[in-house]
Amino acid sequence: MAERAGLRLGDDELQRILPGVNRARQQVAELRQLIDRTDEPAGAFNAASMDRS
Amino acid sequence: MNNLDVCHLTIAEAGARLRRRDFSAVELADACLDRIDAIDGKLHSFITLTADLALEQARQAQRELLGGTDRGPLHGIPIALKDLYMTKGIRTTCHSAVLENWLPVHDATTVTKLQEAGTILLGKLGMHEFAFGGPSVDAPFPAVRNPWNTAHIPGGSSSGSGAALAAGLCYGALGSDTGGSIRTPSSHCGIVGIKPTYGRVSRYGVIPLSWSLDHAGPMARSVEDSAIILQAIAGYDAKDNASANVAVPNFLTGLKDGTKGLRVGVPRRNWFDENLGIHRQTEAVFDQTLKVLDSLGAMIVDIDGKPFSLARKANQTILVCEAYAYHEKTMQETPMKFGSSVRRRIIEGAFLSAGDYLTAQRARAVLNEQICANFANVDVFAVPGAARPPEPFEAMDPNEQNMRPSFTNPFNLTGLPAISVPCGFTEGNLPAGIQFIAPAFQEATCLRVAYAYEQATEWHKQRPPL
Repeated sequence: MAERAGLRLGDDELQRILPGVNRARQQVAELRQLIDRTDEPAGAFNAASMDRS
Repeated sequence: MNNLDVCHLTIAEAGARLRRRDFSAVELADACLDRIDAIDGKLHSFITLTADLALEQARQAQRELLGGTDRGPLHGIPIALKDLYMTKGIRTTCHSAVLENWLPVHDATTVTKLQEAGTILLGKLGMHEFAFGGPSVDAPFPAVRNPWNTAHIPGGSSSGSGAALAAGLCYGALGSDTGGSIRTPSSHCGIVGIKPTYGRVSRYGVIPLSWSLDHAGPMARSVEDSAIILQAIAGYDAKDNASANVAVPNFLTGLKDGTKGLRVGVPRRNWFDENLGIHRQTEAVFDQTLKVLDSLGAMIVDIDGKPFSLARKANQTILVCEAYAYHEKTMQETPMKFGSSVRRRIIEGAFLSAGDYLTAQRARAVLNEQICANFANVDVFAVPGAARPPEPFEAMDPNEQNMRPSFTNPFNLTGLPAISVPCGFTEGNLPAGIQFIAPAFQEATCLRVAYAYEQATEWHKQRPPL
């Protein structure tokens, strides 16, 4: 994934990042338990609100 | 009145004395600049000092006030800005080598509004690099220190704003808050900070960390001062895609209406004890605060903390994904310009998928509904400002931080207005804060409860031993 993202990470840097990545993935797994097929994302696109000048 | 006393006045007090001609706007700015010169070497709260500009603005304010032009309660008041607010022609660094010498070509909307209100800009304040990742040891500017004990962190990411206010170096400041970055330093430094409702204050010209979680807001030494600054910066801005076209009430009108009969929800159950739980000293201070609220006629109501606890997981997931998206190009081209702490945190976002991000945004909608449903039974929530006292720099442990509840994240996820106000001290004379959270766009309710509590106590009058 790092390569696909265009990042050049050494082994040492990767080892330091992985605990955070694993924690982040564990958190997402817990969040999946909260939702079902009917749940849309917060902040779904709303054409009426796109009034930036 | 000596310089130290002048520097610790509130905005309301300083404004009254300016108009009584006890001192001039130039003398007020000079008092701040002298104090910065005397003690900021210990705190490192300022990255860039704009002394010449401040004195020029002060002279103009003085001329206007003497000539009968009064722009309101911020006229002639020295303030400072977290260094992620764009200031035209003034270095804006985000405390990072990435932007070390960057000169923006326009001002943030909030900066323009504060200029129009007649404030005096003293300078730009230190922060966590790009508002993320903790105090950095390898940034081009030193980490900000806590005025109550310089061996301890001031909290972040608006660390310079919290430290400068507590030390009497300015009268008001702007911070930004994506996961607690206004409220945590306010709690750790013994000052007041309010994160307004998402959309209430323009983010235009504020360097993003996470677009859907970022909030701009005021920090000050009193609740009234926070209301004064919020009044000046709130309101719809077509330049900010998330700005809410909602009427701005007068935040000072109901400030003194008290808390009698107010229902205060405390989501302790299923939250305060998660993992390592809240620090025992912090919880003791919080419980004392609830007793004061009870004595003021408020009704304390137990509510379920589970959705608040889960909110942190969604907040952190969304934050790292959006932060990575914003910094992706720089991270690919010049990653070593970032400090190690912020670089590693941002890169986590590259390892999460589109599905992960959308799972968090879908959970956000569910949790928002669950959390806000409590407002059918209570008027405000009350939670600690932080889960533990400000730790010493030497003992900082990000893993421990993740093992304690986040009392701030849920209100970025939901966008609800939240204020932190001083509520006591833990061992070692380190400040603690309590937060009050109200329904969307009811900042006035947050301010009213915080003001009632503040006026019933003396915590906000304490000064650090500098």
